[in-house]
Amino acid sequence: MREPSSSSGLFGLLAEFDRPERLVDGVRHAREAGFRQVDAYSPFPIEGLAEELGFRDQRVPWLTLIGGMFGAALGYGMQVYTNESFQIDIGGRPLIANPAFMLITFELMVLFAVLFSIGGMLALNHLPRLNHPLFGVEAFHLTSKDKFFLVILSNDRKFDREKTRSFLEGLDPVRVNAVGYSEEPV
Amino acid sequence: MAGENRNDPIAAMRSHLRGKTGRAFWRSLDELADTAAFRTFLEAEFPPLSGPSDIDRRSMLKVMAASLALAGLTGCGGSPDQTALPYVEAPEFVVPGKPKWYATAVTLGGFVLPALGKTHVGRPVKLEGNRDHPASGGATDAFLQASLLGLYDPDRSQSPRILGRPTSWSSFDAAITAGAAELDRRQGEGFRLLTGSVTSPTMLRQIEALLSRWAQARWHVLEPINDDLALEAARRVFARPLDRHLMLDVAEVVISLDDDFLGPGPRQSVQARRWSTRRLAFQERRGDSRLFVAEPTPSLTGAMAEDRLIASPSRVEALGYAIAAALGVDGASAPELADEERRWVDRAVAALRKTPGKTLLTVGPQHSAELQALGLLCNERIGALGATLRFTDPIAAIPPDGIRSLDMLAQDMAAGRVTTLAVVGANPAYTAPVAPDFRAAMEKVPLRLHVGLHYDETASLSHWHVPLAHELESWSDARAVDGTASIQQPLIRPFYDVRPLHVVMDNLVGSLGGSDRDRVQETWRASWGESFDGRWRNALVRGFVEASAAPFVASAVADRSVPPHRDVQRTGLTVVFRPDPTIWDGRFASNPWLQETPKQLTKITWGNVILVSPALAKERRLQNGDVLQLEAGGRTLTGPAWIMPGQEANTVTVTLGYGRTHAGRVGSNLGYDAFAIRTSDSAWRIEGAALSSTGKKEIIATTQAHQALDGFDFVRTVGQPDAAGSRPDTVPGPNAAGEQNSQPPSFYPTREWDSPSWGMAIDLDLCIGCNACVVACMAENNVPVVGKELVAEGRQMHWLRIDQYYEGDPAQPKSYFQPVPCMHCEQAPCEMGCPVNAAVHSFDGLNLQVYNRCVGTRTCSSFCPYKVRRFNWFDYTGDDPEELRAARNPDVTIRSRGVMEKCTYCVQRISEARIAAKIEGRAIRDGDVVTACQQACPTRAITFGDVIDPETQVSRRKASPRNYSLLEEANTRPRTTYLARIESTGGGAEDGTG
Amino acid sequence: MTHIAAEPGDRYAAVTEEIAQIPLHYPDPVAWRICFGFALLLLLSFFISAGVLFANGVGVWGNNIPVNWGLAIANYIWFLGIGHAGTLISAMLLLLEAHWRNSLNRFAEAMTLFAVICAGLYPILHLGRPWYFYWIAPYPNTMSIWPQFKSPLTWDFFAVLTYLTVSVLFWYVGIVPDLAAVRDRAKKRRQQVFYGLVSLGWRGSARHWARWRQSYRLTAAIAVPLVVSVHSEVSLLFAAGPIPGWTSTVFPPYFVLGAAFSGFAVVSMIAVVLRHTLGLTNLVGERHLDLLGKFVLATGLMTAYGYWAEVFDAFYSGDRQDIGTLMDRLAGDYAWSYWGAVVLNFLPLQLLWWRAIRTNPVLLLLISLSVTIGMWFERYMLLVTTLYRDWLVSSWGAYHPSFWEWSLFAGMLGVFLVPFLLFVRFLPVISSFEIKEAAFEEQHDA
Repeated sequence: MREPSSSSGLFGLLAEFDRPERLVDGVRHAREAGFRQVDAYSPFPIEGLAEELGFRDQRVPWLTLIGGMFGAALGYGMQVYTNESFQIDIGGRPLIANPAFMLITFELMVLFAVLFSIGGMLALNHLPRLNHPLFGVEAFHLTSKDKFFLVILSNDRKFDREKTRSFLEGLDPVRVNAVGYSEEPV
Repeated sequence: MAGENRNDPIAAMRSHLRGKTGRAFWRSLDELADTAAFRTFLEAEFPPLSGPSDIDRRSMLKVMAASLALAGLTGCGGSPDQTALPYVEAPEFVVPGKPKWYATAVTLGGFVLPALGKTHVGRPVKLEGNRDHPASGGATDAFLQASLLGLYDPDRSQSPRILGRPTSWSSFDAAITAGAAELDRRQGEGFRLLTGSVTSPTMLRQIEALLSRWAQARWHVLEPINDDLALEAARRVFARPLDRHLMLDVAEVVISLDDDFLGPGPRQSVQARRWSTRRLAFQERRGDSRLFVAEPTPSLTGAMAEDRLIASPSRVEALGYAIAAALGVDGASAPELADEERRWVDRAVAALRKTPGKTLLTVGPQHSAELQALGLLCNERIGALGATLRFTDPIAAIPPDGIRSLDMLAQDMAAGRVTTLAVVGANPAYTAPVAPDFRAAMEKVPLRLHVGLHYDETASLSHWHVPLAHELESWSDARAVDGTASIQQPLIRPFYDVRPLHVVMDNLVGSLGGSDRDRVQETWRASWGESFDGRWRNALVRGFVEASAAPFVASAVADRSVPPHRDVQRTGLTVVFRPDPTIWDGRFASNPWLQETPKQLTKITWGNVILVSPALAKERRLQNGDVLQLEAGGRTLTGPAWIMPGQEANTVTVTLGYGRTHAGRVGSNLGYDAFAIRTSDSAWRIEGAALSSTGKKEIIATTQAHQALDGFDFVRTVGQPDAAGSRPDTVPGPNAAGEQNSQPPSFYPTREWDSPSWGMAIDLDLCIGCNACVVACMAENNVPVVGKELVAEGRQMHWLRIDQYYEGDPAQPKSYFQPVPCMHCEQAPCEMGCPVNAAVHSFDGLNLQVYNRCVGTRTCSSFCPYKVRRFNWFDYTGDDPEELRAARNPDVTIRSRGVMEKCTYCVQRISEARIAAKIEGRAIRDGDVVTACQQACPTRAITFGDVIDPETQVSRRKASPRNYSLLEEANTRPRTTYLARIESTGGGAEDGTG
Repeated sequence: MTHIAAEPGDRYAAVTEEIAQIPLHYPDPVAWRICFGFALLLLLSFFISAGVLFANGVGVWGNNIPVNWGLAIANYIWFLGIGHAGTLISAMLLLLEAHWRNSLNRFAEAMTLFAVICAGLYPILHLGRPWYFYWIAPYPNTMSIWPQFKSPLTWDFFAVLTYLTVSVLFWYVGIVPDLAAVRDRAKKRRQQVFYGLVSLGWRGSARHWARWRQSYRLTAAIAVPLVVSVHSEVSLLFAAGPIPGWTSTVFPPYFVLGAAFSGFAVVSMIAVVLRHTLGLTNLVGERHLDLLGKFVLATGLMTAYGYWAEVFDAFYSGDRQDIGTLMDRLAGDYAWSYWGAVVLNFLPLQLLWWRAIRTNPVLLLLISLSVTIGMWFERYMLLVTTLYRDWLVSSWGAYHPSFWEWSLFAGMLGVFLVPFLLFVRFLPVISSFEIKEAAFEEQHDA
């Protein structure tokens, strides 16, 4: 989801709710009202919220699978290659001893699956990102505590400063803030 | 080695000593040793000598190394003696890495141990047996193998001393010439020469010259472990002293009355060789080989006996009389015998009768002349004389007073009849009997001169001390036990400021200068005349003088009188003396290799123990290591107890050679001194001794904590020698036969091996556990010595160990030896365990250990069923100086701290042979590769070679039905296999003879 | 979450405050400082012991031939085993949707982390030439020599490395949202900067949560078999050798269960201590102690089965060497280690059949302590009783750990405690967002 360019001066409008249910409803209404550049913030993952936002991304699971397969291939390949490249008789064991090779193959599979999975998650989330316009909003710190936020970005096709604000007022939030690009809330 | 700042400390010492005489003088010498002046002087003189005294032995071994560096710096380095002749055709110039071989010899108790010396760029690095030698045939023993280290011993005396203080040779020369002139005037009156046993023609010539020059002078001999009583016995029977020679290669039945003829000593390698010759024939069913032994304390001979009777020394005498009576020796009346003894005598005599002319009865040379004489008469009855028992004139010269030689000297000294005493190559202050008191008498002598390799106990009691050159760095000659003479040629020039024996001998009579080589040549030129040059060269090249063996003499019995048997009533315990198996009479005390070599039967290192029987231990509630006080003949000694299976119930055994006070940093203050209770008339045995516990405990460093076989089949035995097609039953365990054919199943692919692929077969029927292989391995492979503390912690480094097992009732056990090198398993667990490919298998079947790849996980050792791997827990070698490295075999890597090491099948010798074969464009022949242990073995128990070629010696042995793998059930497919020991019950002889 | 205020909004706030405030204003700094000082002393002992070891060589330990492994390897297995409980609790229970885990998983994972670090240090320290430890890793080198991949040690190397990496990532990804919470509560500049950096700018976007959940659960799913594989491989370090008493197929499960057993015991101890010192009684409630007790009991009984199976195996095989080793364990020089393990592991354990005892913090602590020590005895027993008397009676020996081995052991406890105390002091010890999530879902299900 692309964010509005900082030249526009306005990032979007932020509605604050005190109950997760209200946030979910708010998101649903915003979508129904045709808003697409919508995002929601909560202190904890809320079942179904992402779906309401139209989130269908399955890339992380796929990355995990790829990582696992890569790791397994790497592990097994490494053991076969090294044994072939420098052949040594070890205690009369076969040169390519698959039972013995499986353990390291498995370990590397696990290692790379996890690396890809978590690395991919961070990358796709564009994290780390230490600064964000929303941090400019004084009340936003409550998103990690007990408040729930809905933001409609200024680059939404249907976005209109006044209309959108009144739309959000209609969802009976605790309050609505304009989110600017400067440190000071606008 | 002149310290500049010595004047004032010397002056201080002089003032300290002024006006002191006699005992007071010596006492003040001790005090002097503590004065600051002496210390500063000592530091200026020998930095390392003044080092800390109470350091643990390992760090001390390092100090040794350091002080050797000093020695090397001060000495004139090690260029090979240009006039010494190479044994084989060597290049004109020294090629680094290409060894030169010289034939030479070292001596033990005056007798030659023939050797080939391997030198690298002028440094002797290994001694091996001389295959051509008529007596030894290449056999060696631990002493020969270890004497190399004696050459590099940094505790060797390095300069003349007066009153214990180093001085210059010039001052010695001045003093000795003056003294000689004085003696010339007095016809040598009051001059006494004391030497060890002498076989050297040159030495004898010099002694004769001295005695003829000084009519009043007298020569005495002190050899603590000698054949005096055997000679005496011969004199009684044959009216003249004769050396006995046991023809063990002929004798099919041997009855040994407490005679350890396979045990350590100058005769071990020769006699073991002969015995193994018979044994090998017996294995092929050519004649019998039976051994009956009656003895009070276990010995190597007893361990090989098929029928061993435990008998106290006095009962051994009774048995002698019983056998004599049974054989019908006139005047021998049979004493009362216990049933067990009776049965043993019956079996023994029956065996003697079975094969007349091929039997032999021997009596221990430590037994009374009467008993030995009786033994000779028995041998006459069984037709052994001239057949299995032959005689020559004594090889070692007999001093004027014969057996009483030393006592006479002691008496004369005590009576003040001795004005000058010259001790050459002996250490009476330590080894002389306590009665008559030699030490006290010695202090009555106004001028005492000591000539020796070390500044030992005697040197410390002498005014003058003269350092000798080591045998391997000087010219001399000596005779082997069969009389064959060898010319000892130096392998290296002396690197300390010392003089050769024969030069010093002439110094005594005031003649200075000249070389020892000239003096030795002079001796032989006299006997060879014209043909000298050729024969001299030949003697040097071959290592012995051809046809110089003493001729056997026809021995007619002159006196058949048999003294009546006196049955001694036993009161208390019987003490028997034995030489120490590894340091002999103490002369090897400063040799770390021998100190760390486990005693054959107890596996103890770095000390001696008092052997007590299990019964006695039970009665007195003794445990190994309990410190005992032994009271015998009014004298006492204290030492740790060791419970000895197979020891006679009321006999305790003490060993000579320990408890030395002046044996350098390695040998001093270890164990107890058994000489302290040894008198000249009870030199080998004391009756009526008493034992009391002191309540103290002592740590004993043993390399094998558990010696009971517990019914395992590690050592297998068969009832019969091999016969074509026979598959002998094996006791205990499954069949010992043909693992080769019936390999247990395995998951792993069977690998085809190209020839050559190496393997070893060890015949337990021949191994007498003598340790020659163990020391040879240490010398060949630069195995580090770790010291008593670490051995006690189970960290000894021996690559080849000899396991000793007892089977059966501890009171009367069977005893077995099993040499255990690396098994070089074809399916080696160690290799599988190593994470870094440091333990790998070679194309020719070796289990390799790649030191510089090893990171020291020790998994290989954990997984090794045979526990043959050794780990460098500390840095044992890192700070060795150049000189000590020179003592090492340059073909073998020195291992660093933290790496695993183990037997390599002497891989350096294998590649040497491979290279030679390649150069000559041929395949490696059987016998091209001889491992160090194989070469050293006096009984040919070890064979090594290509196991793929069925025609090789090792393959033929492995084909024997007696062949078996150790721990077959571990399925590691060892390349080292064993041949089961034959425990013949005599049945082997039935269809065997002829 | 019974102990939390009824109104959900307040609940969220309460939980957040309770947990996020700990790092910002630590409840009991004096007690913490005392513990930390003590831990630092232990850490000092570690550095001294390691220094002596490196300076002189492994000889400063009591090892010898045959017992050439000693305390080092026994402790390696012990520490690694303890670590496993963290992952199991956290990952397994996450997949089982067991919400009660949320009060425990954070510090359990932290414990895993530091235990694995201790375990990983031991094999390196025990090397003869530790400065070459990296030779076990496959890296291109001029000699083109590679590790020996058929060796159990190489397997262990990869296993421990993987396990460490996965544990760190799993723990860190799990803590990021709470770090954000602490960041948002932080008042002091220093704290704001620190927590701002480590929380990676997390802001709780629904899309982020979605991806976070995907990878967190996938990692958990992978971590469970990983735990099993890791300790199975450790057991192969013994079982792969042809040594009586080691070559047994029961070893892998035997080791894994023993690991879980000791791990749960240590988690219980930490839980009891933390809830007391940090006043988290309403988050780590009786229910948790009860469940922990049950887990300890269950894994303990399975381990007991392993013991019995070993005895049975030996006699069933009828192999003289195996029976001999068993006899050495029951009655040999080191029988104390066997019976110590049996007594400490299984006798007090039986008390856990009663709920009253499971929910009694002090008793649970004591029983867990006994199990922890008992499992140490077991590791020691398995190693020493096997090596000191193996095949050849001629090579039988003895083993006495030296002072420097014990001091290193004490030091290792420091290596564990110092980072753990720092964690307790400066990081949210309990997963607040997961508790909130659980609260939300329960309230919905209700």
